[in-house]
Amino acid sequence: MTERTLRLPGFSRRLELRPWRRVAILTAVLLLIVVGSMATGKVMLGPGALVAALAGPDTPYGLIVLELRLPRVTLAALVGGALGLAGWLLQQVMRNPLASPDIIGVTSGASAAAVGYLAWLAVPLGMRGLPVAAMAGAVGAALSIYLLAWSRGVTPLRLVLTGIGMATLLGAVTLFILAFSPLTTTLSAYVWLTGSVYGANWNAVGGLALWCALLAAPLVVMMRSVVLAPLDDTLATGLGVRVQRNRATILALAAALAGVAIAWGGAFAFVGLVAPHLARRLSPPPGAAQAVLAVLFGSCLVMLADLVARTLFLPLDLPAGIFVAVLGAPFFLGLLVREVR
Amino acid sequence: MPVDRLRLSRRRLLGALVTLGLAPEATLAARTRPPRVVTLFQGATDTAVALGVTPAGVVESWQDGPVYPYLRVALGGVPIVGLETQPSLEDIALLAPDVIVASRFRHQKIMPLLSKLASVVMLEEIYRFRATLAVMARALGRERQAELLGAQYLARITAVRARLAAHFGPRWPVSVSLIDIRADQVRSYLPDSFAGRVLSDLGFAWNETARTRSGLMLKLGGVESLPALDAEVFFVMRHSASPVVAEHERRLMTHPLWQRMAAPRAGQVVAVDAVAWSLSGGILGVFSLLDEIDAWLDGPGEAR
Repeated sequence: MTERTLRLPGFSRRLELRPWRRVAILTAVLLLIVVGSMATGKVMLGPGALVAALAGPDTPYGLIVLELRLPRVTLAALVGGALGLAGWLLQQVMRNPLASPDIIGVTSGASAAAVGYLAWLAVPLGMRGLPVAAMAGAVGAALSIYLLAWSRGVTPLRLVLTGIGMATLLGAVTLFILAFSPLTTTLSAYVWLTGSVYGANWNAVGGLALWCALLAAPLVVMMRSVVLAPLDDTLATGLGVRVQRNRATILALAAALAGVAIAWGGAFAFVGLVAPHLARRLSPPPGAAQAVLAVLFGSCLVMLADLVARTLFLPLDLPAGIFVAVLGAPFFLGLLVREVR
Repeated sequence: MPVDRLRLSRRRLLGALVTLGLAPEATLAARTRPPRVVTLFQGATDTAVALGVTPAGVVESWQDGPVYPYLRVALGGVPIVGLETQPSLEDIALLAPDVIVASRFRHQKIMPLLSKLASVVMLEEIYRFRATLAVMARALGRERQAELLGAQYLARITAVRARLAAHFGPRWPVSVSLIDIRADQVRSYLPDSFAGRVLSDLGFAWNETARTRSGLMLKLGGVESLPALDAEVFFVMRHSASPVVAEHERRLMTHPLWQRMAAPRAGQVVAVDAVAWSLSGGILGVFSLLDEIDAWLDGPGEAR
């Protein structure tokens, strides 16, 4: 029995259990990585020392585990999860396995805005405005892509092509700002463009968690129409989906999710592309379980990348984005090769 | 490494004093044990040593790593806590410092975490050696040493200025350019920069471009903009010892536009040490800078 039907007054849903078992397994893996990350670093903690440290910040290693490692791994999980979900939504709505926040211009929009902020506004306004700037950039880019692709409604193909054009344009803007900004900002800008969760604190975790919750909540209700998004427009209309409105909402949610993730973690590339593919391979029928798997894969990828980045070359602490690319690029190439065959 | 409860509670007491607006330096000065300081930028490391405080941890130097040669004796055995741009917070936590000296320019983002690890002394910039000296002296209870260093600085400036005036005679004050040759670019430091302020204190004049531009430095677009550097004396530093930089310098100095400028024509191009003139960022670096000017005035050995 791998299927159950859930019946409540006014609500019934068929539940397939097999994908959810995989979700449970991956959640266990995720928790394992969290525990591993808390135990690993300049000092390695055994199980006993780790439990002792979790008791409070006044214990010998409490400060390191509770204020340095735990917020950092949590932020990595949130950033990766949001990017994975954003990528999954985009691939659904664009009907294109290569769609992702980095390819359709959301990342580039956030990057251009953030680098501009670092260059000219970080000194007078402080760093607190950086997430706001990045979010504004991401949403602005997504909105302009949508409007530019508009011709009596938008089609997925026009969206992808406009997005790629926009990404290239905004990439050029970023390079232009880097070349003309005061040189002192270039270093922080490069770290940001690579993606890094260095210096994560609980305020950042709280801020991002709140945004993720706000943006993911509507998906619970919308999942039915998200699943139908890849269908042909006429077929979807026949099934009772308001195609254009559905497409705009999903696009907006995906852009906002990617935007907040990038705002707090920097321009992590590849996560939004790779995580949905891994999810699709593990659980072929699209649905809530697949979405959750994309979140989990995204989280695991960024957490692992950060774990490697901060421990492999001690005492150097490298941006996690470097290792996301190291893990993600071969997968991307393999995917391309498979698509061609 | 067990962190004793006493130290933690003292740290919290300090934190409480800071939040109440009371000066923490009184407490720091009053105790017998010197405070454990971690310095997160080069100028702070230099200044700590100048004040007679050996830091409990420092960040890696920009070149000749992990510690600049002029600080190696003073900092023998002091642990490195990573890079100035991204120090390892875990290493800092394990050192259990009383005070962390950081700069808003570099460490604004990790400020909330640093303040959980110790009381933080935050400088705005990393290259204002006098501000760094004054603020750190107050925080570490070493005002007396800072006064002595300040007096020493004034005395050195007065002496070197007199020598310069005698050396150049009626031509004094001569104009100066401070040139930094890197692998792929040439920079010129302006009067507001680290060494620029010292040169201004010495009474050097600046050319039109340097006087009118604001900021710390000028990035040269290419050889065509070389004339913007023109001055009667050039102090030239190589950003690193790499052969690429040496090759760039050779190409630049054999260029007709370079040779047409005042300083090269008069043989007043002086090679100087990038650590003392730019990368050190502290009062000891300034003293080595003045030593180099003294040595140059002693004889023509350094002129190229």
